[in-house]
Amino acid sequence: MAIDQQKALLFGAAAAVRLLLFTAFPSLPTLLAGRVEVSTPVTSFKRLQEGLFLYTHNVSPYDGGVYHQAPLLLPLFSLLPNPSYYPFATNLLFTAVDLLGASALMQIVESGQSVTTRLFSSSRKDMRWSSIAVAASFLFNPFTVVTCVARSTSALTNLFILTAMAKASQGASFTFIFALSIASYLSMHPILLFPPLLLLCYDVRVTKTKSSSSPLAFTFYHTMGLVDAIGGLLSLSAFLTGSWEFLSATYGVRLLLPDLTPNVGLWWYFFTEMFDSFREFFLGVFWLHVASYMPGLTIRLRKQPLFVAATLTGIFAVFTPYPSIADAALYLSLVPLFRHLFPMMRYTFLAASTILYATFLGPAFYYLWIYAGSGNANFFYAITLVWSLGLSVVVGDSIYAALRDELDVERPELRGKDVKRI
Amino acid sequence: MLSFLALLLLHALIAPALAASDYSERLLLRPLPQNALLASFNFRSNESSTAFEQQNFRYFPRSLAQILQHAGTKELHLRFSLGRWDAESWGQRPWNGAREGGTGVELWAWVEAQDQEEAFARWLSLTNTLSGLFCASLNFIDATKTIRPVMTFQPEGDHQNSSHLHLLHGTLPHEVVCTENLTPFLKLLPCKGKAGISSLLDGHKLFDASWQTMAIDVVPVCAEGGECVLEMEQTVDMVLDIDRSKRPRDNPIPRPLPIEEIECDTSKPYNAHDTCYPIHKTTEPGFSLADLYGRPIKGACPLTDDEGEGANTVCINTPPERTIDIKTDGAYVENKLQSDTLRCYKLPTGSDFDLVLPEQQMTTGLVHQEPPLSAARHINGHGQEHGSVQAVIKNPSPTDSVEFVYLESLPWFMKPYIHTLRARVSGSSESPIKETYYRPAVDRARGTHLELRMVIPPSSTLTVTYDFEKAILRYTEYPPDANRGFDVAPAVIRLISPASADNKGIYLRTTSLLLPLPTPDFSMPYNVIILTSTVMALGFGNIFNLLVRRFVGADEVPTLGAGGLKGLIRGRVERLRARFAAKRKAT
Repeated sequence: MAIDQQKALLFGAAAAVRLLLFTAFPSLPTLLAGRVEVSTPVTSFKRLQEGLFLYTHNVSPYDGGVYHQAPLLLPLFSLLPNPSYYPFATNLLFTAVDLLGASALMQIVESGQSVTTRLFSSSRKDMRWSSIAVAASFLFNPFTVVTCVARSTSALTNLFILTAMAKASQGASFTFIFALSIASYLSMHPILLFPPLLLLCYDVRVTKTKSSSSPLAFTFYHTMGLVDAIGGLLSLSAFLTGSWEFLSATYGVRLLLPDLTPNVGLWWYFFTEMFDSFREFFLGVFWLHVASYMPGLTIRLRKQPLFVAATLTGIFAVFTPYPSIADAALYLSLVPLFRHLFPMMRYTFLAASTILYATFLGPAFYYLWIYAGSGNANFFYAITLVWSLGLSVVVGDSIYAALRDELDVERPELRGKDVKRI
Repeated sequence: MLSFLALLLLHALIAPALAASDYSERLLLRPLPQNALLASFNFRSNESSTAFEQQNFRYFPRSLAQILQHAGTKELHLRFSLGRWDAESWGQRPWNGAREGGTGVELWAWVEAQDQEEAFARWLSLTNTLSGLFCASLNFIDATKTIRPVMTFQPEGDHQNSSHLHLLHGTLPHEVVCTENLTPFLKLLPCKGKAGISSLLDGHKLFDASWQTMAIDVVPVCAEGGECVLEMEQTVDMVLDIDRSKRPRDNPIPRPLPIEEIECDTSKPYNAHDTCYPIHKTTEPGFSLADLYGRPIKGACPLTDDEGEGANTVCINTPPERTIDIKTDGAYVENKLQSDTLRCYKLPTGSDFDLVLPEQQMTTGLVHQEPPLSAARHINGHGQEHGSVQAVIKNPSPTDSVEFVYLESLPWFMKPYIHTLRARVSGSSESPIKETYYRPAVDRARGTHLELRMVIPPSSTLTVTYDFEKAILRYTEYPPDANRGFDVAPAVIRLISPASADNKGIYLRTTSLLLPLPTPDFSMPYNVIILTSTVMALGFGNIFNLLVRRFVGADEVPTLGAGGLKGLIRGRVERLRARFAAKRKAT
C-alpha cells in the first residue's frame, strides 16, 4: 500500500473514532470537560464557553475569576456556532486539530532529525518506526483521544508545539517562529522550547545549505522574530479586548497559581497546604526548577536538539503548575520518535506500570474523595505523586538512553559493556 | 366551619400616622395558623436634620448618629434575622418584606462620596464601627462580601439635599444572631427596655422564635418644601410558637399531656380509656403576654404621645368575637378600629399591663393575605466538585403578571457559569429575562453579583438554573468547622409591578444555602511539603546526575567498593587512618 493511502486510511480512522465518540455519546464531551485530569482552569472548554459568553455579551471575560485562556481564542470560537446547541463545528475543529498535529508529527519523523543530526548520527539509526506508526501512536493514544473529546484547548497548544518542531526540523524558520510564538502565547511555558528548537533549526539550515552562516546573527534574527511575533499577538489581543488586563488573568494565573483546582500535577496540593508566608518563595523555587532543565539539557545534549525539545515537553507534563493528561499525551507521542533508544532504557516496565496504575486509580481515588466521601484529599494526591514519578522515570530513563547512545558513537569499544557514571 | 372575615390588615395602613410625633412605639399581635403568633414591635424616633447636624440629639441615639456622620451615611438599613417565614401557612410577610433581612446579618447603605474608592473606604469604616456597636461580625464584610446593587434596592428617603450617593450592600449569612446583638439594639431606644413594649423583649424568648428579624432603618424624610427630619425606625418581628413559649423556663422539655387532657377521636375502633387517637384541636389556644414573654408590659414609655394615633401602643388583630381580658391596675384605653378586627390599647403609666386571651372555640377567622410571589432556592447535584442552583418562583395570582428583580450575591469560591443560566416559565417558551446585570467574581477579591429583571405571567412557575463549580481553598482559608460547609447568602427579590403603595418596596428573600466545599487534609502540611519535594528531588536529581557526570566503562575505574560491604568499610578505615597520620605529622 502506498504511503499516501496508508495515511488517508489512518487519518480517516482517527477522525471516524473521534466523530463517533462525539455523536454516539453526546454527553461525553461535557463529562470529560469536567474531569480535573483532562481540563485544568487554564484549558477547560467549559471555562472557554463562559469566557465566550461574556465576550459576546460585552462583559470583559478577564474581569473575573473564571476565564484564564488566551484572548485570541475568543474571536476564533465566536465564529463557530454556539457549542451548547450546535456542537458539530467545534467537534470538527478539534478533530482537525488532532489530525494536523499528527501530520506535523509525521513531518518530524520524515525529517529523520530524531536519529541523525548535523553533529551526531546514532549507531542504531536504522532502528526506527515509520511515520505512519508514530502518527498512529499519537492519534490512537487514549490520552489524545480523551483530550480531543473533552475539547480542551491544550490540544491547540500541542498542535502548535508539534508544528514548531516539524518546521524547525525542516529548517523553515518563518513558520517555526510563528508556530512557537502561538504556542507560547497560548500556554506561556512552550517559550522554553525556543533554544533547543533554534539549535535544531540552525543545524538543519546548515546541513541543507552546506554553508555555515553566523550562529550569532541567526540567533539574533530568530529571537527578534519571536519577540516580534509574540509582541504582535499580545498587541492584537490588547486591541481586541480593549485593555492589557488579560495579562494578569492569563499569564498571571499561570505564574501565581491563585486557582487551586486539583489536577495531575504537583503544584496544587503543595500550595493548598503551604504556609502563607512561604507561598511566594516556593512559587519562585518551583518556577526556577521548571526553567532549570532547559539550559542543562540544551548544553549537555547539544548534538540532539530534537531530543531535548521532546524531553522538555515531558518535563512540562510533570512540573508545570497546571498540567493535564494532554501534556502527557504530547510527550508520550514524541517518545516513539526515539525508538532506537528503547533497547537501552532500563525501567520501561516500572514506568509503564506506574503510569497505568495512576491512570486507572486516579479517577477512582478522585471519586472516593469528592463524591463518595470515603477517602480524603490524600488519596488523589498520592495518585498524582505516582503519576509524576512515573513520567519523570520515563524522562530520566530516556535521557540515560540518549547519553548511552552518544557514548556508543564516541567510544565504540564500550558498546554492550557496563558503564559507570563518574 | 370557620367563616372568614374579609379583612386585610396592612402595616402600611397604620404606619404613616406614626410619623408625626418625635417618638412612638407600637406592638401588633396577630395570631397565625398552627398555634403561631406574629408579634411586630416598631419604634420610631425622629430628629430634625438641623439638630442632627449640630449633634443635638433627643430621641435619636447619639452613638449611632455619630457613626453615620463619620461615615457620610445618608440612609442605613441593618438586619439581623433567624429562621424562615413560612409563607404557605402564614401568608404575606409583615411590612411586605421591607423590614426583613436574609438569614444572618444584612446591611445596605447609601454613602455620600466623591468616587467609588472613597465610598468603599467609608463603607469599611461604617461596617467596622457598627460591628463594635452591635457586637456582630460586621467587620467581616470586606470587598468579597460587598456588592453594589443596581436594580434591587431603591432609597426610601428623600435625598434631594445630597449628591454622589453610592449604594453598598453586604451580607453575613453565617452570622448567628443572638442576645449580644439584642442588648445594644435595646440600648438605642429612649426607654431602653425598661418601660413600654420594649420591656417584653428578652433574649431567651426572642431567639427561641420560629422566625425573627431585627431591623434598624435610618431614613431622611422631607415634608413638601419644608424641614427634613431623620427618621430612625427599629423593628422586631417574630413568630412565636405559642405552645413552645408557654413552657416554663425551668422545665423546658416537652412532655406528653395526660390522657385526660387530650381530645380523642372516638370513632376509631381501638379507642379505649388507655388508647387514644388525638384529633387536631379546633379551639384557638389561650395565651397571655406574661405566658409568652415571661413578664407583662411594664407600663407605657413616658415619651410616647398621650393622645391620638400614637397613643395606641398595643394592638391585636383578631376577629371581634375573640375574648380579650386586660389585666392591669392602671388606667388604659381601648380603641376598636377596622370594623373591630383591630383592638388597640393605650398603656397605663407606671403599672403592669397584660393581655389575656383564653382558649376559645371560634366561628370566624381572619383572612391571611396571599403573598404576591413565593420563592425557593436550592442546590442540585452531588459531590464536592460542581453543582447547580435552582430557584423556583411561583406567581399564585390568576390575573396579574408580576415583574421583579432577582439578586444573587455569591461568594467567590462558588464559581457560577453564566452561560448555563436558563430561565423557563412553565408552559411558555419565551424567555422571562428582561434585563441582566452580571459582575463576575475575582478570586479572593470580589464576589459574584447577579441581578435579573424578570416577568412571570399569572399562575405560573418560573425556574432559574445555573451551574457552578466549587473552588478548593488554601488550607488557612477554611474555618475551623470546614466540613460543615459555607453559607451562601439568600437571594433577594424585589417586586417592581405590582408596585407597593409606599416607598418601602415589596421584598422577599429565599433561605440561605449551605455549600460543602472539598477539603484538603488539614493535618499534614509538613507531609505534603516533604512528599512533593521528594518527588521533585527525585526527578531533578536523576536528570542532573546524568547531565553533569561522564560515562566510563565499568572496568576502567578502580572501585573502592570492590568486595562489597567489607571492601567499603576497609576503604573508610584506610581513609581515616591516613587522615590521622597526616594530623600527627602536622603537630
